[in-house]
Amino acid sequence: MKKKCIAMLLAGGQGSRLYALTQDAAKPSVPFGGKYRIIDFPLSNCANSGIDTVGVLTQYKPLRLNSYIGTGEPWDLDVSDGGVYILPPYLGAHEQGSWFAGTANAIYQNIEFIELYDPENVLILSGDHIYKMDYEKMLDAHTENGAACTIAVQQVSMQEATRMGIMSVDASDRITEFEEKPKQPKSDLASMGIYIFNWQKLKQYLIEDEKDPDSAKDFGKNIIPKMLKAGERMFAYRFEGYWRDVGTIISLWDANMDMLSSDRINLYDPSWPINSRSQTLPPHYAGEESEIIHSIVTEGCEIEGRVENSILSQGVKVGKGARVLYSVLMPGAEVADGATVEYAMLGENVRIGEGAKVGNEPDGSEEWTVATVGPGAKVEAGQVVPASAMIYA
Amino acid sequence: MADYHGIIFAYSAAPEMGELVKERTSASVPFCARYRLIDFSLSSLRNAGIRNAGVIMQRDYQSLMDHCASGKAWDMTRKNGGLKLLPPFGLPEYHSGDYVGTMEALNAVSTYIEDIKEDNVILMQGNLCANIDLEAATACHEQSGAAITAICSPKAQGGVRYRYILNEDGNSSNRLLLNQTEKGEGIASLEAYILSKELLLSMMKTKQQTNVYRFHAEALFEYLNNGGKLNVYIHNGYAAFITTKGEYFKAATDILAPENRRSVFPGDRPVRTSGLEGVSSYYGAEAKSRNCLVADNCIIEGEIENCILHSGVRIAKGAKLKNCVLFRGTEVGENSELECIVADKYVKFAPGTALKGSPKLPLVIPKGAEI
Repeated sequence: MKKKCIAMLLAGGQGSRLYALTQDAAKPSVPFGGKYRIIDFPLSNCANSGIDTVGVLTQYKPLRLNSYIGTGEPWDLDVSDGGVYILPPYLGAHEQGSWFAGTANAIYQNIEFIELYDPENVLILSGDHIYKMDYEKMLDAHTENGAACTIAVQQVSMQEATRMGIMSVDASDRITEFEEKPKQPKSDLASMGIYIFNWQKLKQYLIEDEKDPDSAKDFGKNIIPKMLKAGERMFAYRFEGYWRDVGTIISLWDANMDMLSSDRINLYDPSWPINSRSQTLPPHYAGEESEIIHSIVTEGCEIEGRVENSILSQGVKVGKGARVLYSVLMPGAEVADGATVEYAMLGENVRIGEGAKVGNEPDGSEEWTVATVGPGAKVEAGQVVPASAMIYA
Repeated sequence: MADYHGIIFAYSAAPEMGELVKERTSASVPFCARYRLIDFSLSSLRNAGIRNAGVIMQRDYQSLMDHCASGKAWDMTRKNGGLKLLPPFGLPEYHSGDYVGTMEALNAVSTYIEDIKEDNVILMQGNLCANIDLEAATACHEQSGAAITAICSPKAQGGVRYRYILNEDGNSSNRLLLNQTEKGEGIASLEAYILSKELLLSMMKTKQQTNVYRFHAEALFEYLNNGGKLNVYIHNGYAAFITTKGEYFKAATDILAPENRRSVFPGDRPVRTSGLEGVSSYYGAEAKSRNCLVADNCIIEGEIENCILHSGVRIAKGAKLKNCVLFRGTEVGENSELECIVADKYVKFAPGTALKGSPKLPLVIPKGAEI
């Protein structure tokens, strides 16, 4: 059957800059904002945009992600003529096949999957961004422009531009030049890593690029420059809403803290729901001596202590006399009586012992960052974990 | 658990629940911030691995049907069997009035009962708040060798109707006490029974011939009088029948106590429900909360104490709430003061509203009202 557009979600990266948080699971499955995992954002955006066929390319530690996605039912992606599919690397006849060598190679290895749906266009997404976006509008612009490729862009500061893929455009937003991490940026339009390609064009470039021994087989480094050089019609699609890359400890913490400021990303909007898979837990309980101020609290939590400027995911427990400040507590984390957690991120099922102290407020130094305790790790009673620490289980 | 079939009675009209059952049955009354009462019996069945069940309903069942839907929340959407919703089949003799009793309700869906594939059935009430370990109860039933097991509780609250005098062995009974509305002697029946389909059908057939309709007062009474053996399984946790506004309010606030919460929501037997998933709840910079249960999707800027907040409730700055139960989507305006109020779905309290009920007779504000 023919589809106008299907999505391919690149979810295979390790997310090595999240250290302990991605020690046992790929970055897209990292919890975010109380109720979510990072991958909920692109999956919900797809469903809300009318894209009902999504291939999820996995490679690094995919098991949690696989069981999380399941049939795709939480995102209404369990449909009969499409759906969400996990696509790991595989071997073919004569043991031909390999790990995904780059983002473009990952798509190349799944050409047969894409052809099953005979799509006009393919939307390429990555699993490490927090944003709400109507891909249908981008697809409309792509179709109107008769583009071979459309790249979503956002205006950034010139300083940020040096770390990103930067596009120069003409008056009609047709891309004239593309540079990865330029030292002297010529434009402030940065690629958001969201591409729509005409499938026939993309297939042709993927096959050619695969034969190039010098290619890194990457969209930003190889495919897009080659298409541009060949004079293909390539357009920038400007996106002005909230968009954050959460690939580092501090950016993940920052984006979580953004959840507390109502003008950043509105997740209470029923017209654009971000859905997630979650077990049914009882309502959260705020105890006799609890104080909860300017914070987000999720079902299954039991709060007996003080919580301020923090994000509490499902099933978090905060004991009597404990204090949690400017912190992100992922599902099932428990802070025992009298412990203090400030400027910290606690992974899933972390245990903080009685009277322990994790993290410290910013001291103005360049090296300061939040303290991170990896999933399943234990901090013993009375132990002190300084700012910037990274604790593995 | 392949050999058990659940039957839940959800036809109860419960007139003493007033506005709370104006557009729904007592089994579909919202409860404990995110559930409907029937979730407890459905989840008890589900957690014992029972996948096939029927829900007997009679009238005002729109909200109950919406809630149960295909049974997916309880893993009861099955190719064969699964959850079946059973409105009256319209046998001529059952056309008029509410079902007088359980046997009449069963007879009204007798073809369904006859078609049950499992050898045993578990009868449960849709208005009972209790998380019953049915795996243990069925094991106890099988071990006892009795034809019928009654699930009882020494601590049952609310509208208990029947009690048993235990025999000396402490786990069987030959004496059923009828019309025991006050706490009296004996142990309270949770009106949950485990018996064979064959025995149930034979009880139903007898009833048709003699034209009587009640399970306890007639079928069971006769069974015991004829020397039938009744095994008793004791549920030691929290249990409350909810048949009046006062009982509703008491049960809602009882769940705040830690021992009751642990009993109703044990980690290994979760209560499952259908309906909206949503965003976490948000507490503002001036929010205060003490001893409250709060669902997701709420925004709390004011002060709440001993309150139960369902999904999507908004509490504006300066509002003070004590002993209140607010159903989904209720909005409380700035500087309002509310005490002992049960607000049905989507009620709006204008800024500065002051209202007070009493714990025995909470003030119930009907669905969608603007105060």
